[in-house]
Amino acid sequence: MGEGARLRLVGGTLHDPANGVDGEERDVCIADGRIVASLPAGAPTLDARGMVVMPGGVDIHAHFASSSCNHARRLIPDEHAADPAPAPALSEGESRSGSGGTVPSTFTTGYRYAGLGYTTAFDAAVAPLLARHSHAELDDTPCVDGGIFALMGNDEYLLRQIERGERDRARDYAAWLLGAVGAYAVKIVNPGGVEAWKTGQRNVTGLDDEVSGRQVTPRAILETLTDAANRLGLPHPVHIHCNNLGVAGNAATTLASMETLASRRAHFTHLQFHCYGGEPGKGWSSAAAPVIEYVNAHPEVSVDVGQVMFGPAMTITADAPVEYLLHKSSGRRWTNIDIELESGCGIVPLAYKEKAAVSALQWAVGLELFLLSQDPWRVVLSTDHPNGGSFLSYPALIQLLMDRAVRDDRLAQLNPRFLAGSALADGLAREYTLNEIAIVTRAGPARLLGLRDKGHLGVGADADVTVYSRDPDIAKMFSTPRYVVKGGTLIVEEGQLRRAPAGKRLRLAPGYDDAIVRDLRKHFEAYSTVSFDNYPVRGLRDAPVGIP
Amino acid sequence: MSAERVLHSVTCLGCGCGCDDLTVRVRGGRIAGLAPPCPLAQRWFGDGTVPQAISIAGRPATLGHAIEAAVSVLRTANRPMVIIAPDLTTEAQRTAIAVADVLRAEADGATSDSAAAGILAAQRRGRAAATLGEIRNRADVVLFWAVDPTARYPRYLERYAAAASATHADRRALLAVSVGEDRGPAGAEIEADFAPDEEVDALAVMLATVRGRPLGEVAPPFQRAVALAERLLRGRYVAIVHDAEEAGPAGGDGQRTESLVALAQALNGPTRAALSSLRAGGNRSGAEAALTWQTGYPMRVSFRDGSPRSRPGRSGLDRLSAGGADAVLIAGSAGALADLGPVPGRVPSVVVGPGASRVSGAGVAIDTGVAGIHEAGTGYRMDDVPLPLTAVVEGVRTAVETLSLLLGALRVPPRGSDG
Repeated sequence: MGEGARLRLVGGTLHDPANGVDGEERDVCIADGRIVASLPAGAPTLDARGMVVMPGGVDIHAHFASSSCNHARRLIPDEHAADPAPAPALSEGESRSGSGGTVPSTFTTGYRYAGLGYTTAFDAAVAPLLARHSHAELDDTPCVDGGIFALMGNDEYLLRQIERGERDRARDYAAWLLGAVGAYAVKIVNPGGVEAWKTGQRNVTGLDDEVSGRQVTPRAILETLTDAANRLGLPHPVHIHCNNLGVAGNAATTLASMETLASRRAHFTHLQFHCYGGEPGKGWSSAAAPVIEYVNAHPEVSVDVGQVMFGPAMTITADAPVEYLLHKSSGRRWTNIDIELESGCGIVPLAYKEKAAVSALQWAVGLELFLLSQDPWRVVLSTDHPNGGSFLSYPALIQLLMDRAVRDDRLAQLNPRFLAGSALADGLAREYTLNEIAIVTRAGPARLLGLRDKGHLGVGADADVTVYSRDPDIAKMFSTPRYVVKGGTLIVEEGQLRRAPAGKRLRLAPGYDDAIVRDLRKHFEAYSTVSFDNYPVRGLRDAPVGIP
Repeated sequence: MSAERVLHSVTCLGCGCGCDDLTVRVRGGRIAGLAPPCPLAQRWFGDGTVPQAISIAGRPATLGHAIEAAVSVLRTANRPMVIIAPDLTTEAQRTAIAVADVLRAEADGATSDSAAAGILAAQRRGRAAATLGEIRNRADVVLFWAVDPTARYPRYLERYAAAASATHADRRALLAVSVGEDRGPAGAEIEADFAPDEEVDALAVMLATVRGRPLGEVAPPFQRAVALAERLLRGRYVAIVHDAEEAGPAGGDGQRTESLVALAQALNGPTRAALSSLRAGGNRSGAEAALTWQTGYPMRVSFRDGSPRSRPGRSGLDRLSAGGADAVLIAGSAGALADLGPVPGRVPSVVVGPGASRVSGAGVAIDTGVAGIHEAGTGYRMDDVPLPLTAVVEGVRTAVETLSLLLGALRVPPRGSDG
């Protein structure tokens, strides 16, 4: 079945929380890549009786298509050698071989997302200067619709505007930049801290620290870009990686950041890495509870968790000072790339071990956030792939959320001394339902991203559908969907990838005051090594997504 | 008289600097002028004329017949090889890698010999680097290690390491190390000279100084190394510049590169630092980038087992010369493959690229244009920053289209097969 064909998924148990459907036996009708109300008798059918039907998965935050990922790939030839990925045998179209590991090659990434039932994914941290590279990688990542978030908040031009109090110009700059590089959202990483890393200051630690001796603070950066995104009416609010990632006691910074933006729409990413109590050098504890209580009480705030899973990982972030500290504390290989006037990139391969105190606490903190959250629509499942673990570990994470016995077994293997302050150690009985899983893996992230045609199976939605065979082993059930439909094309049949269409590019082109262009051109001519005319990425596939 | 076209913000791949500020005048299908003047840009662009022949065994052929013949040569091989030259767009390089995947061939960039030391050192250690704009705007101490960029990278100083305007570096100190005949630039604040057999020890002394390790009594030749390291430590942002394409006495076995990688990383404790690795002309970094994202490995890849495997050790060209393949596709200019010698005459060969028809002994030769002269697309600067390339001279057959035709033909199952 190719795009444009019709298909009726018959008799599956539907979990479509965006449309209020919680486990009802219903048919799903597909025509021309969309969900339709009905099909004529005689349309092709697929028997989904006894199976669980959900919209295709939506990954709101991962790192899989960027120059940084490519630098990471170069660090792990051993992982690639251990995980060869022959070209899948498709029934239509061409396929490509590749390699896996924590940072798979591009084609393999697309195939493996499809094999999990995920049909949309965003690379959450792309330096605008290197966006052209990301789009090339996305061109070679089939099966998923996707896009990139553009890194802002440590960029020279923006910092100058904030210093001068030019909030409107900062907003125009954000709009111009999103359109120029084909990005979908504004991403802030360690506001001011990456710029400080490039100077003797090395990092910022508080929201009111001056950044490299300027009249600019992390607080001002957060406020400026949050307001810019909201005033531009972007479908996804500003996507924030707070200051002090991974530092004992950082929950105070996280809460202060949330309070600073109170009443303003904002998304806080990989929250697990920002919910620690204790003090630097004096031990760690969980501070998940107060942070998630704040989130529960503030409907304008959304988060993704960034769960740590035990096993190999690759830490890749624009938060370069953090990676330097990780390199020094772990002794592992370390790549740092300072990216001109914009951002940074740090990479350290890592493994999370049950017997390591910090890893165990991180594992517990993530689960606490999930289990103490009261509104699944605002708490998205993520591992910050591959930082907390591969996206391939999502099924195991879903099992931890849905099956308390499995969770308690894993918990019993940890040294209780590692779990200071964690409510998990006191026993959290909650088990996620299938409908809640459908929310945190597809309906919720789609809504938070403003993707009106994704994350649900109402009439007119993109025909991205995943069908799971029931299995008492939840991890097994979610790791091998029986069928996956992507944009109306049946790409997984009987658990096997059979087609691998190119994904759509999701990007924006917000409007801005043209005066910004003259000012930017002058700035580029003075300081940039890339001509202003060559900076925008042109010739991208698919038109920009409209902004209502 | 045909009208003159003037193109602005044109990217040059004459060396790895990737200057994208060229103005190019084209008249009558030929390049009539370039500005600003640069000898390597002049050599890279030339007058824009390239041969446009197609041949099979030296005889003129149609494109269709040539593709058929190429398919026949490559499909019947048991041990095919794909060599990816740097004068292709990244789009064409991606297509060449796809051809290697279909053929279950070995694939390698044409420059993996010269790039291997840096790539392998970065694999073992990681690295501390920066895009060229960071060096331009922040570096207040720039150390040239056994390289004077003036000849091989003519605008590196003007555009990057010694640019007039910078956001953060109001003054710069230039330091120069010479190693044997590999001379650093003249007129530096500190100039140090090491014999080739002293180089690695000098770098070890610098590393120890940066790390604050006790050195004891330092022998006279290395006292300059201590002074250099102490000067680096007084910098706010240090750039160490070396030639990643030149295999000097210590460069050949990778010790120089490994030591420089370690030094740049260590400097990030007491101050900030980046290693700037100079790369020669063409789209070398692009080939490595595309190989990495499509296979996981930046060079020396074999698809023979049905999925990419690293073949460390000898380069593709080296293996080809030693009889390691029974057919070869050279994607890109044979002119870039100066070391290839008479191989195309000994191994059934398909050459798709600029000047293919001039390769002696090529079985199938399809001339195409050059990336960034006749073919638009993407080229990577030495610091892995991708830049748009312009088709300055139009109307020349492109490598990406030709390789795509070949790929499409290879994907059609042969007659009589079950597929």
